[in-house]
Amino acid sequence: MEKKYWKGVEELRNEPEFVRLRDNEFFENLPLDEVVSKKASSDTSTSRRDFLKFLGFSVAAASLAACEAPVNKAIPYVIKPEEITPGVPNYYASTYFDGNDYCSIIVKTREGRPIKIEGNEMSGVTKGGTNARVQASVLSLYDSARLKGPLANHKPAEWNTIDSEIKNKLGQVVASGKKIAIVSSSIASPTTKKVIADFSAKYPGTQHVVYDAVSYYGLIKGNELSFGKAAIPSYHFENADVIVSFGADFLANWLSPIEFAKQYAQNRKLRNKKNMSRHIQFEANLTLTGSNADNRYRVRASSMGSVIANLYNKIAGATGGAVVSATSTSVDKEINAVANELINAKGKALVVARSNDPNVQVLINGINSMLGSYGSTIDLNQPNMTRSSNDEGVGNLITDLNNGAVGAVILYNSNPVYTMPSFKDAMAKAGLKISFADREDESASFCDYVCPDHHYLESWNDAEPRKGMYSLTQPTIQPLFSTRQAQESLLKWADAPVADYYTYLQDAWKGNTYTMQTGISSYEAFWAKSLQDGVFETATAAAAAASFIGNVQDAASKIGKPSTGVEVILYEKTGIANGNQGNNPWLHELPDPVSKVCWDNYFAVGPVYAEKMGYKQGTVIEVKMGNVSIKGPVLLQPGMADETMAIALGYGRTKVGKAGDGVGVNAFPLVTMANGALKYFAAGVTVNKTVDDEYLLASTQMHHTMMGRAIVKETTLSEWNKNPRSGNPVLKIETPYGKKEPKHVNLWATEKNPGFPKENHFWNMGIDLNSCIGCGACVVACTAENNVPVVGKDEIMRSREMHWIRIDRYYSSDTTKENAQEKNLGKISMYSEMEKPTADNPEVVFQPLMCQHCNHAPCETVCPVVATTHSSEGMNMMAYNRCIGTRYCANNCPYKVRRFNWFRYNENEQFPFNQYDNLGKMVLNPDVVVRSRGVMEKCTMCIQRVQYGKLDAKKEGRRPKDGEIKTACSQACPTNAITFGDFNNDQSEVHELFNDPRSYHLLEELDTQPSVFYQTKVRNKKAGKEA
Amino acid sequence: MNTESNLRLPLILGDKTLHDITDDVCRPIEGKANKWWWLAFTVSSAALIWWVICVSYTFGTGLGVWGENKTVGWAWDITNFVWWVGIGHAGTLISAILLLFRQKWRLSINRSAEAMTIFAVICAASFIIGHMGRPWMAYWSFPVGNQFGSLWVNFNSPLIWDVFAISTYFSVSLVFWYSGLIPDFAAVRDRATTKARKFWYTILSFGWVGSAKNWQRFEEMSLVLAGISTPLVLSVHSVVSMDFATSLVPGWHTTIFPPYFVAGAIFSGFAMVQTLLIITRKVLNMEEYITIYHIDMMNRIILITGSIVGVAYLTEFFIAWYSGVEYEQYAFINRATGPYWWAYWSMMTCNVITPQLFWSKRLRESVFATFIISIFVNVGMWFERFVIIVTSLHRDYLTSSWVMYYPTWVEVGIFIGSLGLFFVPFMLFTRFFPVIAMSELKTIVKSSSSQAKKKKMAQSPSPSTPINHE
Amino acid sequence: MSSSNKKFVYGIFNDDDVVLDAIASLRAKGLKVKDVISPFPVHGMDEALGLRRTRLSICCFLYGMTGCSLALLMMWYMNIWDWPMDIGGKPSFALYKNLPAFIPVTFESTVLCAAHGMVITFFLRSKVLPGVEPHIIHPRQADDHFVMTVQAKDDAQVGQIHSMLKAAGAISTKE
Repeated sequence: MEKKYWKGVEELRNEPEFVRLRDNEFFENLPLDEVVSKKASSDTSTSRRDFLKFLGFSVAAASLAACEAPVNKAIPYVIKPEEITPGVPNYYASTYFDGNDYCSIIVKTREGRPIKIEGNEMSGVTKGGTNARVQASVLSLYDSARLKGPLANHKPAEWNTIDSEIKNKLGQVVASGKKIAIVSSSIASPTTKKVIADFSAKYPGTQHVVYDAVSYYGLIKGNELSFGKAAIPSYHFENADVIVSFGADFLANWLSPIEFAKQYAQNRKLRNKKNMSRHIQFEANLTLTGSNADNRYRVRASSMGSVIANLYNKIAGATGGAVVSATSTSVDKEINAVANELINAKGKALVVARSNDPNVQVLINGINSMLGSYGSTIDLNQPNMTRSSNDEGVGNLITDLNNGAVGAVILYNSNPVYTMPSFKDAMAKAGLKISFADREDESASFCDYVCPDHHYLESWNDAEPRKGMYSLTQPTIQPLFSTRQAQESLLKWADAPVADYYTYLQDAWKGNTYTMQTGISSYEAFWAKSLQDGVFETATAAAAAASFIGNVQDAASKIGKPSTGVEVILYEKTGIANGNQGNNPWLHELPDPVSKVCWDNYFAVGPVYAEKMGYKQGTVIEVKMGNVSIKGPVLLQPGMADETMAIALGYGRTKVGKAGDGVGVNAFPLVTMANGALKYFAAGVTVNKTVDDEYLLASTQMHHTMMGRAIVKETTLSEWNKNPRSGNPVLKIETPYGKKEPKHVNLWATEKNPGFPKENHFWNMGIDLNSCIGCGACVVACTAENNVPVVGKDEIMRSREMHWIRIDRYYSSDTTKENAQEKNLGKISMYSEMEKPTADNPEVVFQPLMCQHCNHAPCETVCPVVATTHSSEGMNMMAYNRCIGTRYCANNCPYKVRRFNWFRYNENEQFPFNQYDNLGKMVLNPDVVVRSRGVMEKCTMCIQRVQYGKLDAKKEGRRPKDGEIKTACSQACPTNAITFGDFNNDQSEVHELFNDPRSYHLLEELDTQPSVFYQTKVRNKKAGKEA
Repeated sequence: MNTESNLRLPLILGDKTLHDITDDVCRPIEGKANKWWWLAFTVSSAALIWWVICVSYTFGTGLGVWGENKTVGWAWDITNFVWWVGIGHAGTLISAILLLFRQKWRLSINRSAEAMTIFAVICAASFIIGHMGRPWMAYWSFPVGNQFGSLWVNFNSPLIWDVFAISTYFSVSLVFWYSGLIPDFAAVRDRATTKARKFWYTILSFGWVGSAKNWQRFEEMSLVLAGISTPLVLSVHSVVSMDFATSLVPGWHTTIFPPYFVAGAIFSGFAMVQTLLIITRKVLNMEEYITIYHIDMMNRIILITGSIVGVAYLTEFFIAWYSGVEYEQYAFINRATGPYWWAYWSMMTCNVITPQLFWSKRLRESVFATFIISIFVNVGMWFERFVIIVTSLHRDYLTSSWVMYYPTWVEVGIFIGSLGLFFVPFMLFTRFFPVIAMSELKTIVKSSSSQAKKKKMAQSPSPSTPINHE
Repeated sequence: MSSSNKKFVYGIFNDDDVVLDAIASLRAKGLKVKDVISPFPVHGMDEALGLRRTRLSICCFLYGMTGCSLALLMMWYMNIWDWPMDIGGKPSFALYKNLPAFIPVTFESTVLCAAHGMVITFFLRSKVLPGVEPHIIHPRQADDHFVMTVQAKDDAQVGQIHSMLKAAGAISTKE
């Protein structure tokens, strides 16, 4: 018989009063109407109970408001929920393009807030990869420095009034016969181009000048000269067996790094194959790409052209082509060798150069066509549409401005006053100055009108990164402020019939992309699918060889000749790049992959040259070029070319916001015009030392060599092919019972009693040091996923960075244990020698390091209050609210991955970074606790993701599939260097990787039995040609 | 009645009678404090106030106001903790171990040495609490369950061993000290002239009258307490050393630590006793009770323990070399030649070289030399802990995490302040407590006082005449 | 004056050796020497008075044993029975496996209980407690005087006890 339980005696007795009350939701009726009406606060007597009810109500109300679906017609990526379920994330496909990086992305939203960016694996371009800048872009959405509404003459104004004013001013400009100049960075959106076209139609004499602060004009022009096609080809590093790069930092900054990193890694991985691509880098400053090269040669920027010309001659000579005039350089010997390698790899070779000089690019194209790269490693039929900068155009514009031919300037996603000092005075001559900037930046503050654009996560848009490959940007949140999409503003001013950009976009697609396909019959369905996938890609003509028509003789004669004297390289950092996310603390705190310095840019100077000039780390020097003068600190950077300095662009912003203002110095003034193109190195400068001016740089790594310890294990391809364990021998420890592997030297665990079995899952992580390029995407991804606090320069100078995952960078040293004898050094002097990195051209290795989740964890044993223990799934867990902060665990951690909350970083006026003002807090991941002061924290292997994945699987009554659960770092990694999975599932990738003879545990001799393992780095060095 | 050879120097000078002893010991309590006392007291109170300021600032703002970082998680805090605990050891050692060895010369110094122990351990404890990220949660380190009752402490952790060791050590030393004080309180009580003094010392003395049975029990208790305090005092610093020895930081992971730390503790403890008593005997005119002979005896112990410590240092280096372990070897090379070489060499100078001067009897018996050297030893032993903790941590396994550590004014302030935390109660002790265990001292008047020696001389002229110091 | 057999006579001495001799001689004369109050522990006093050996040390041992077993019980319960956890992969299945890690705490709490148990017992047993009114016969009994308590069989004996005490070396006597 069915049992009956009573809610209470009342129900049992079933009194009439109870019966009456039973039907009410609340036992007493809530005085909500009073709350809503102002009365509540003033005269109603609010009891504690009532207060709690109000609280409950307001929380519910608030969350309901938040749960409002972001935008009409936004289609979730995976499934379309009826409405947002609180606590369950929704994913929307979208596109990131800021005029520099293109990336097709998935946006994770919680309760209507975008909180995380992931790569979109459906994209044929970025293939699911991301980089630090894309990962960090979500924080820029919640930047309180953004304008809350439009400004007219620096005062807040109404859109309508602004529109009407602007319209008739534009009218006057047209009437006066003057030009209207739209200055924008490269635009990848065909529809936006259409909008601009419509605008120009309305206002004749409108001229669209594309100006990229970091320009690829030389590349475009070069291809025009070589093939009569003003376009940038797409590159296929995955098809190249020999890659030669002349200063092109293609893994971090050059052209399309996310795409290239993926391609590059494809042919570097050694899974089920015996060989890998060979990468040779010629460069002046030590770039991320250069540090990944198999052989790296130092070349002064000014000699780069001649070096390329020499290479051209060598290859031309071998393939029976005409040679050009070329001055010999310091690396002729190396060039011979490289030329031979290239010729042997004919058809599978790729040569790229960073130089923005069209003539240099002509030579490069010449080399590539001689090597038959077109059609295999280079594809001109599917050009890269993300760059269309026209340096000559900019030059002309400035002239026009100066002689008053331009009546109005409209700045769209462009900040020329910051990136091109000469622009400021020129622009002042224009009667009407409008900016779409999202904040009152260096340029906008000189404009009459600022009409703030949406953040890309609030906007509709599309992009065509490659010919025939389209992708869509969709809003994932209602606009936070009274901003308006730039396209919409232009349409409004052009009195376009459709001013609503969403509709305009749809119409455009109806007329264009929809017609390109036949699969889907209804447009709605097509639109829905494209929106859901985020991309729409059409099959295009296969890559084919192109006939080279360039005039190499002419080009060779024009390229700059080697010059003497100090040269300053102007490069981009992985984090800040051209500086348009200059107020993003995540990017400022991301250490430079090579120098490990954050929150600053600096003059990187080779130790040898520095010693000659009497510079020390932090010495402030002044670089003068004409009337331009820049002051900055010196950083001792091994691997620089002789008499060469390098300083990063994108720093020294003055009007970007709290976090970014005054960080570093602005190096753009050193950019000059040469051969009608912007030149990114400054020769003929004078440098003088401003004495006794010690400047402190914040670095996350103080020691740069491995001191002869087997931390990053390394071997060469030839060695590895002979012996798959080369560089990673089986470690044995001397015991009374003979030599044994560490895991067999154990107090408790024996074969009979293996300690704590991991019956269900055993989560492991494999890191392939051969694929890791050290770009730092994982660091920012982890920061975003796990609410890792930003602590700022001051704390980093005290070595208190909070990153849960860090990337260690080691330089090789001239002294090794092996050659210490020959140098007859004693132990003491040997060690002090090993502390010095190779000054001229060190080899560089990277190693991502997060909590190793040791199964014999030293940290767990010593915690007095069991705040850190081990899970049955092999994870080292941390109970923040149990921690009393003795820091014993951190001391006892041999990997030093534990991070302590020295202050209350999340709420402390000492740390005023975006993430922690009220707006910035919206980026926090609700699944991860924000740690309080005085507790220890560390990598959790994204346990929240693991739990979520397990639950999902459980709901479907199955076990989690391999690769279904990804940690933030493994998902963000553009080269798939990090693999996460269940070791107990012997089909899993991580299990397979572990059995690879290259796999090893870090500090294995300590027998901490980590759940994270690494794989030996293999360099494809040719014997006897070590750099 | 026990007798002793005239060859032994008298332990009480100036022909004291039982009554003289009572008078002398009670004088500071009954009389007014002299200006030296007031000077010392003002200075140490100032330090104590500074301590309060620095500690409150740390608790209020967060440990970030210290110089520690991701790699060096412990520095001055634990250095000071170990230093203070070490100092504490001499007191118990004198009153327990010397009692077991029937060393009569302990009698006139054990009281103040034990007081030193108590206050030193208080200072040490303050650093345990103070180094925590969330000191208000400190009680979680006692075996009490969490809110749900089932999350206990981790008995594998040396820090828990510490909690037990330190609290046991503190409370046992306290009762040992207090039970010894009771008869002397009674003496003060019985001759009390003011009402207040009568009242307070009546309470403090627990109504003691030295009846035969009580004395019998009292002596039994002292003996047994001494018996169990001896392994206790040895265990405490062994446990403290295990905070390091059981870890795997190169330079910490060393089995030699327990004996080496104990020796070091006694070494530093006696140095501190010297420092204190040389001042106290002057300020309270106790030269006739704390004689040059006492100082000489303690100097000998300093010499011995100092040599033990020196041997331990060398052994560490030998083992590092002999082990052939890369990390271990580097840790020690780095100590001596790395960026913190100056700390290592000041440690070596103060702890190994200076005490060797005590081979010379002249120095052993010179108050001035003793005072200076005792200061050297105190400094040296502080550096020993600093060297072990900081130089081992700042360069451990992964070179990428190697950093430097620099203290901030707050850390320095807390250390200096903790001296105030120590001296203020000690100064009060010298004013309100009998600084010499008179009831025990009286037992040797007949055997080891100067006039007793004279008497025996008169009766039986012995080959040697006792030298009378001062 | 109370009943005869509660009659006490006190002899005041100023030298411990004299007291010891006195005890011997007086007891030889068949006097009942109840107690001697002395400013410091006089060696051989307990034998002279024929006091039984105290059993404090035995209590101490028992307290120690208790502390020892309590500690082991506590650690077994907390770390092995109530909530065993994987802490650094160390076994927490059985007491004997974890014992090495438990020894320090076991030892400390043995000492803790032994010491405090004994001291408390001493205080209670000897009625030495805060607030107890001291029984002061001579103001210098804690300074340099010794007070011998002799119990008289009857008032008749009192007189002769006075003289016997004086004879034995007492500087003064009182009732």
